[in-house]
Amino acid sequence: MSDPLLNLSGVWKTYDAGDLAVHALRGVDLVVGRGEYLAIMGPSGSGKSTLMHILGCLDTPTKGSYLLAGEQVANLSRGRLAELRNKFIGFVFQSFNLLPRASVLRNVELPLLYGGLGRDERLVRAREILTRVGLGDRGHSRPNQLSGGQRQRAAIARALVTEPALLLADEPTGNLDQTTGAEVMQLFDELNRAGQTVILVTHDPAVAAHARRIVRIVDGLVEQGEEAAA
Amino acid sequence: MNLLSAVADGFVEVRAHAGRTVLQTLGVVLGVASVVSSMGLFAGGRAQSLKYYSQSGGVLKVTVFPKDVRTVTTTARERASRGLTIDDMDAIKASVKGFDLIEPVMTRELQIRTATLTRAYEVTGVGPTYGELQELLLDSGRFINENDVATREAVCVLGANRASDFFGTLDPVGQRIRLGDHLYTVVGRLTYREFYWNKQENYNSLDWMNDFIIVPVTTLQGRELGAGERKIGNIALRLVDRPTADTALPALRRILLRRHGVEDFQVYARYERMKEMDQQAQVYDLTFKAVGLISLIVGGIVVANILMASFRERVCEIGVRKAVGAKGWHIAVQFLVESVVVSGIGGTLGLALGVGFVHIIAWLLDQYAVLTPGMIAAAVSCACGVGVVSGFIPAIIAARLDPVVALRYE
Repeated sequence: MSDPLLNLSGVWKTYDAGDLAVHALRGVDLVVGRGEYLAIMGPSGSGKSTLMHILGCLDTPTKGSYLLAGEQVANLSRGRLAELRNKFIGFVFQSFNLLPRASVLRNVELPLLYGGLGRDERLVRAREILTRVGLGDRGHSRPNQLSGGQRQRAAIARALVTEPALLLADEPTGNLDQTTGAEVMQLFDELNRAGQTVILVTHDPAVAAHARRIVRIVDGLVEQGEEAAA
Repeated sequence: MNLLSAVADGFVEVRAHAGRTVLQTLGVVLGVASVVSSMGLFAGGRAQSLKYYSQSGGVLKVTVFPKDVRTVTTTARERASRGLTIDDMDAIKASVKGFDLIEPVMTRELQIRTATLTRAYEVTGVGPTYGELQELLLDSGRFINENDVATREAVCVLGANRASDFFGTLDPVGQRIRLGDHLYTVVGRLTYREFYWNKQENYNSLDWMNDFIIVPVTTLQGRELGAGERKIGNIALRLVDRPTADTALPALRRILLRRHGVEDFQVYARYERMKEMDQQAQVYDLTFKAVGLISLIVGGIVVANILMASFRERVCEIGVRKAVGAKGWHIAVQFLVESVVVSGIGGTLGLALGVGFVHIIAWLLDQYAVLTPGMIAAAVSCACGVGVVSGFIPAIIAARLDPVVALRYE
């Protein structure tokens, strides 16, 4: 894999919990290429949330190296991390995390607002992406007027609006019933077929099965990488 | 991110918590209201004084009176005082600079006889520029002139009340009237003047102008008092301008003191009175502003407190905003704008309340109230200042929030 999108080597994350240091990650090596469809699996407490935070530039490793699109992330300032998140990463959360008092359209244009785009371009791009996820007519609704599946699709639209290199989803079907969950997974599949790099963080094997590669994490270490049967 | 959309977001937040916002603004409302209403009342009082002054000779008018020996404790030398004389006036004219008008004023009670009545009235003897000095206005005829004074002419000018006492609605100009032992020709009638300090007060503070019976000072001196009389009632003067007051007034006092050897006179300068009033007003003003400031500080603390509560409620939202690329200052601006919007609403309400206060108090006390653009600017900037200051700490805390912690927060 030449020029991988992500390249982690020897990543440690240590938290101070009173007297004893807790090692959430203990030397993780992970390489993800462009266009990959990866699932990170592991039980709770395994360190997979910590890994996701580091992958998403929300947090920095205590030790080790993390190259995102060739840039060393490990010791960047908070402001630069915010820029990287804005430019390279789209987050999808388990509980959608839409701003309740803003319209769907406003939620979707938010990353572009922080990216410094003008109003007209923001609106064009936000409408375009909402149409792509099948919510073209719901832009002026409030999040609480949407069904769970629609909310998650709105959240995916928000994640995609900046055309990020990496779509990072944390238990994206955790708050959805089976049917709508399947619909959302279908959307991820389509996005990946169109070339989008997707990383799913989940403990649900049915969700992980959509990915083309599964990475298991146990006790802060990557245990194995396997090619999933597509 | 532009400011306009930040302000719009701020209003969305405020609308979502209308009840909370009302509480939040209360301190700012009261603070701004007290600042505005105190400023309004003092400005009103000052404007009334200025208006009175401007209608009766202006701020530059100075009067020298003999000290009233009956009402104040005095020394033997003061009791022996001969009062003010024509010579005092001549000395002032000769050696004190800074006055453009100087007139002697003599008064004497004389028996007045007309076709219909006989009564004693006070008659005032003055020089030709006295009318200008006191800003007396003529309804008909003319004022005493140089010639009248030079030739001790038996002419008089009547105030509006006296004219109607003696002649009813008839124009008195050209009529004759007996003052003391001599017949005088009426040459002018003064315009009726009025000024009320309070709206419903019935004391006309300019009525003294309506009561005038004015004759040339030389005529009063020569015909009624005896030509050797040097004593005058008071001296009326006018300063050239405000800056001269600081040198001219001490010089005036100095020369009188030197001539009399004792302070048996009083110099009443409106300019000094104004300065005193402004100093007093400053003290009151400061007191009220301090009270207003304290309520603004309390209001600011309330704003900060409730902003902190709203911050705790929105930790997760801050996490999401940061996850999608908001930098610290984006979040800080959001909180600051919200705080300024809330305080701005408070300031606007406070301004309205203050204006209401001013008018209610003015109405209750029969006073005049004045509102100036400066006061409105002060109110608005106070409110915005409180907004920025009280929003500062919550804004910094929100800006520094770790996105990982924020996203985990439930």
